[in-house]
Amino acid sequence: MGTQPLPIMPVPLSVEQAEAMSQRRIKKHHVAIMLLHWFNAMVWLFELSTGAALIASPYFRVAPYWYIDMVTAFFGSRANMLQFHIVVGITWVVVFAVYVVFGFRTYVRTNVLHGIRIHEQPVWRKFLALQCVLFQNEEVCLDADDFGWLKTRFLRVIGRSHEPLPPQGLYNAGQKLFAWLVYVAIPVIMATGLVMAFHLISATAVAWAVVLHFTAVGLVLSGLMIHVYMGAVFPEEKQAFFSMITGMVSELYAYRHHFKWWKEVKMQEEAWKRELQGGSGSSGAAPPILEAATCAPPLSQEQSEENRGLPWTFKRIFRAPEYWPPYVAGAGLGLTLLATFVLMGQGLGASGGFTRYLVAVMAWVAPNYAAHNAYWSNYVQPGQSPLIAFLVFELIGVVIGGFVSGWLAGRVRITVDKGPRISRRTRYALAVGGGVLTGYGARLARGCTSGLALSGGAVLSVGAWIFMLSVFAAAFGGAWFMRRYWL
Amino acid sequence: MNAPYFPTFSLTTYLAVAVLLGFFFGFFLERAGFSSAHKLVAEFYFKDFAVLKVMFSAIVVAMLGIAYFSLVGWLDMSQVFVPPTYIWPQLVGGLLLGAGFIIGGY
Repeated sequence: MGTQPLPIMPVPLSVEQAEAMSQRRIKKHHVAIMLLHWFNAMVWLFELSTGAALIASPYFRVAPYWYIDMVTAFFGSRANMLQFHIVVGITWVVVFAVYVVFGFRTYVRTNVLHGIRIHEQPVWRKFLALQCVLFQNEEVCLDADDFGWLKTRFLRVIGRSHEPLPPQGLYNAGQKLFAWLVYVAIPVIMATGLVMAFHLISATAVAWAVVLHFTAVGLVLSGLMIHVYMGAVFPEEKQAFFSMITGMVSELYAYRHHFKWWKEVKMQEEAWKRELQGGSGSSGAAPPILEAATCAPPLSQEQSEENRGLPWTFKRIFRAPEYWPPYVAGAGLGLTLLATFVLMGQGLGASGGFTRYLVAVMAWVAPNYAAHNAYWSNYVQPGQSPLIAFLVFELIGVVIGGFVSGWLAGRVRITVDKGPRISRRTRYALAVGGGVLTGYGARLARGCTSGLALSGGAVLSVGAWIFMLSVFAAAFGGAWFMRRYWL
Repeated sequence: MNAPYFPTFSLTTYLAVAVLLGFFFGFFLERAGFSSAHKLVAEFYFKDFAVLKVMFSAIVVAMLGIAYFSLVGWLDMSQVFVPPTYIWPQLVGGLLLGAGFIIGGY
């Protein structure tokens, strides 16, 4: 018994097999779980919409004023809104308490602790085993495959891996992580909510409860966004959404997305079949899918070993010679730009910094001329160097950051980046000529592609967008004339 | 209600933050491949749209963040520098820079 030759990894299916599997339904969720899920969804909807409107101190709020006013008007007064928030919250606590009491009996009955010998395991496996003991629920505790899944998933998102994802159980590692977060945060949200609602313990305790309440909700909310996106929008997960209504998924979906769970279901079915056939020791022929599976080459040991460890992941992300996918680098650049606006009240730039370097040199060589030049005199204030400025120091950072990035990826080298048909000399001449135009244009427009197009574009400056469009227009137009030099 | 933070910085902090922000600026630019003139001009021969993708995803990310932060009152937009518009200089300057871009591989 239990020695069925089942595959370790999903194997490619034939069209007929896939067709047959997409027709068969397997039960995924118990009706109690589905009811609880939608009850939970309703509660979160109500509590978040009123909670966001309740946070309205002059120092801190998360929703715009029009939203706060709208929700307050809907309930008539802030007191009514608070009362609603508390009543729904208490209902939630009570329903969960009932579920936990009944659910606990089930946990006690199913013995999931067998076979885990904690003291024999290496440290990180000890952690895995401990959390399984802690949660007493095989469905949500993370195992080695899950860690591999998280790593591979991340690398795939940033375009650094095309390996298949390790097989997953009833819930995948992302869902399990979310479950973890929820298990930790929900008791906190409930307890702090009660402390706030009834002013329990002391004024200090209530003040701390407010902070903890917001933090825990914020953490769950960050996961909830992904959860809702995956369930409601992401096309591949459509079945997961409907499984929360019907309880069923197709066998094909289970095979593709929750392979280890599919295997368990399959093994159970085989066991039942044997029982029905009168318990004769040997079973009949294995179903076709299992036969195909046994022929598949197993995942090579080296390959799976190589996938382990943080240094390896770091290498894949930072030290690979290819550039990052444009949207990943773009998001990083966007966050940097956002941070610049929040910290410095202006965007990133380049040409303005160069202007200041030049003015500094001129103010040193010919101070009188620099002070009386109509344009440069703007930068020459008595008693202050034109070099004490954001852009000047930012450019130093740019050089360091660019070098570190290139050095990590092994892209640092001295070369003349030119088209194959032109000499170095031509390239230098073009660079100087193009540079003159670029520099003059940037100063005329009061900014370059960084300082005006990128930074001004992000704050919707009309001039910045005019500038950006004319840059692209001229470059696309000029490309035809320059093709001999680049291609 | 307190961002942008630069008025509260000492001069040293101000300049150190500038270097740090510049570091990430340079880092992500290099990661995107903007250190290569070839990669930049490939855009204009319809071969590699990295310039467009990087630039616009960065603008969208920053724009959404700024809009949200100012909506909830964290970022005071009246203190944020918005480049003023000068239609003709910016139009002509853009054309010159674009021409310089394709000639010099900036």
